[in-house]
Order: sequence, then structure tokens, then C-alpha cells
Amino acid sequence: MKAKVWGARGSVPAPGPEMNRYGGNTSCVELELSDSSMLIIDAGTGIRGLGVGLVKKVPKVINILLTHLHLDHIQGLMFFAPCFNADTTITIWGPSSPEASLEERIARYISAPLSPVEVRELPCEVSFIDTPATEWEIGPAKIRAESVTHRGPTLGYRITDTGAGEGPTTLAYISDHEPGLGAPLEKLEPEWISGFDLACKADLLIHDCQYTDEEYPNHVGWGHSPVTDALTFARRVEARRLLLFHHDPLHADSFLDDMYGAAVERWIDLGGDPGTIDMAAEGQELVIRPTDDAAPKAAPARAAPQG
Amino acid sequence: MSTEAQSTTKPQKPLGLILARNFLTNLSTAAFLVDREGGIIFYNEAAGALLGVSFDEFGRKRAPEWGREVGPFDEDGKPLGIEDLPTTKALRRGRPAHGSFRIRSVTGVDHEIEASAMPISAEGGQEGAMILFWPKEPV
Repeated sequence: MKAKVWGARGSVPAPGPEMNRYGGNTSCVELELSDSSMLIIDAGTGIRGLGVGLVKKVPKVINILLTHLHLDHIQGLMFFAPCFNADTTITIWGPSSPEASLEERIARYISAPLSPVEVRELPCEVSFIDTPATEWEIGPAKIRAESVTHRGPTLGYRITDTGAGEGPTTLAYISDHEPGLGAPLEKLEPEWISGFDLACKADLLIHDCQYTDEEYPNHVGWGHSPVTDALTFARRVEARRLLLFHHDPLHADSFLDDMYGAAVERWIDLGGDPGTIDMAAEGQELVIRPTDDAAPKAAPARAAPQG
Repeated sequence: MSTEAQSTTKPQKPLGLILARNFLTNLSTAAFLVDREGGIIFYNEAAGALLGVSFDEFGRKRAPEWGREVGPFDEDGKPLGIEDLPTTKALRRGRPAHGSFRIRSVTGVDHEIEASAMPISAEGGQEGAMILFWPKEPV
């Protein structure tokens, strides 16, 4: 399984020369499964660039998994080129809500006055599925979604590609998550930790790390993790690799570099291998392999500087 | 810190219960969390002070065992029927319930209590309930 980060920013797009290396687009990750099919997680503004690249060869079927419906996770949806291709079938999966169906809630954004087009006017064939409580399959991927601690109905995903010749590989994606809210993560029993089962022993964990530890006290309850909680969560679940994600829009490249340095030091303090932690960056591509605990761990790929 | 990812011998609790525990942990009001069968799965430090024993010491209890040790009891000291408990009413009816009774700490001190039980429901149905205790006199 391969992953490509199309947007790693949280909250709101943050373009600008000081953001070039980590990127300013909001959450979107493309997965290439072992049968070469594509799976998209989240539809922040990063999905626009992904769609541009698909114009020449639009897949017939596209599945998009949404963690939740905050704008930084759906804003790119109506700028996703395949939505305007009549030959494409798009299935959008997302959290259910007692208030309204997934389609009705997304339609609030893709409708006037926020949008010039309505969902029913999209040329593609689009359907919306409130994610089931049970595991389901898309191609060679087994997918599980569970509610996690954030504001409003929010899912994390565990995606296991069972078709790879090297054995199953698992990605856990929990982009917006505050598992340490009011809870001592380092000593809580696993059954009481939000997202634990989703991320347990994942080959790659993509996890919220919006704030520094110093910033967090002013953002408690906003649904995002400080560095220490993100790392502690990753260590508790024994994630094999960790990609810190959902960067705060105020954090420029130099700030994120410093944050990464501090995170690596803390990771080592917690017993982690410094080669298994990285900051997500737009354009970053990762090959997710099953981890042999006895083998040396390969350092994650770093993004090439952009712009 | 244990960094062992424990195998999932115990299934992860529903998010509603996880959030409720986090909330109750930080309250100074005595509060209990029960699963859908009425088994106590957590109580906070304030409740521990009331009972004279922390949750870690007390361990996981089923409703009948709980009743024998700490109550609740009526004014005459007789155990209340499980049907009369606010927790039972909340779990069975899916509605909040309120009641008054006595409990006895492990050190033998009786407390008059007002209790409010609130069911915790999610899309999949009833997950449990949280019960807040207000002693009629300061503990």
C-alpha cells in the first residue's frame, strides 16, 4: 500500500511562501492499494490537486472516506475534477449523525449560497453512505471506522490491505483526535483510550498533532492533540511508524521544523525509534510495508521542498 | 509507562462511555458510570471519598454485589429493590431518573443521598448510564 499526502494542514488552508515545504492545503491522503486501485481519505483542499492529476485518466470508481464534515475535510470536494466527469462513480463514506443523513449534511456546503452548484447537479454519479458499524471491504482493503474524540461526529479509519504479497499492511488514519482530553493517556487502560483499537500495531499511524505542548492549554477541548499526547498515544498503541498531521495554520515551515525536532527528542524519551516518526508534508509519498519487528526500521520518506 | 499495546482481550468501550468517564473523572461531584447491564465500570474520586474506597480498590462490581456492600438502603436500612433504583429506571426506560436513599461506606458511615441517573445512548442503542450523587449533608 502506498500513501501520498495531498494536504496536511488543519483548520483552514494556509498558503504562502513560508508554508511551502509542509504545504498549505487541508487534509487529504491518497492511498494506492495492492490492486492499483485508489482510495481517498478526506476531501480538504488537497483533493483539488489530486483531481487535477486525474483529469487525463479519470478512474471509473472512486471511494472517498471522510472523517468528519468540518470544512477543512470537505472544502475541496466541489473542486475535485472527477466530480464533473459523467463517466465517474464516486462513493462518499462518512460519519452518521442523528440529525440528518450524510448527503443532507454535505449538501449544506454544496448548495447556495456557499456553492454555485448543488449535489444533484454534479455530472458524476455520486452516492453517500453513512459508515456501517461493522468492517467492510473496498477492493483488497478491509476498512473499519470508529468514532473518536473530537468535536461533533468524527471517525478514525483502520485500513488493512490484504492483497499485498508481503502480507497485510495496515494504515490507521486519525486526523482529528484529542484522546488525552481529561484522561491520563500514559496510564489509562487500553479499553478506555479513544482510537486504541483502530491504531493498535498499525504499520503507519497518521495522527493529529496540531499543537505544541505549550500551546495546548489554550486549546483544551478543541478536539486536537498536543505533541506529547500524539506521541504517547502512538507508543501506547505500538504504531510501527508515526506521521504527525493536521498542522496548525499558524505554524510556518521553520516552526514545524522546530516542532519536529522537539517531537523526535520526546519520541526517543518515550522509547521510540527516531527513524519511525515524521511530520506530514504535502507531496510526501510513503510505501507502507508490513513491519518485521526484527528488521531495521526504514526511515520514512521526507517530502521534497516545493515551490 | 507501559508502552505495550495490549491485545484486545477487553473490547474497547464505546466512545460515549469513554467521554463520560473523562468528564466524570474531572468532576468534584460524586459520580458513577455503569454499563448497559448496570455493572459499575467506573466511579470518580469524589465517589471514592463517599464510599471510603477508591475505584481501583473496589474493582468492577455487578449490581447485586454492589447492593449487598454499600446499598442503597431505604430509611429503615433495608436494601432497595433493584427495580427502585434510578439507575435501573434510566437503563430500562432510556429516560433520566431521580431518587433518594442511603448508602453505607466501607467504614460503616451512612450517607443520605439524592441521585440522578442519566442514560447514555448512541446510534447503536443504550451504552450505559452515569449517576451523580448529592449527599444531603457534607461528607
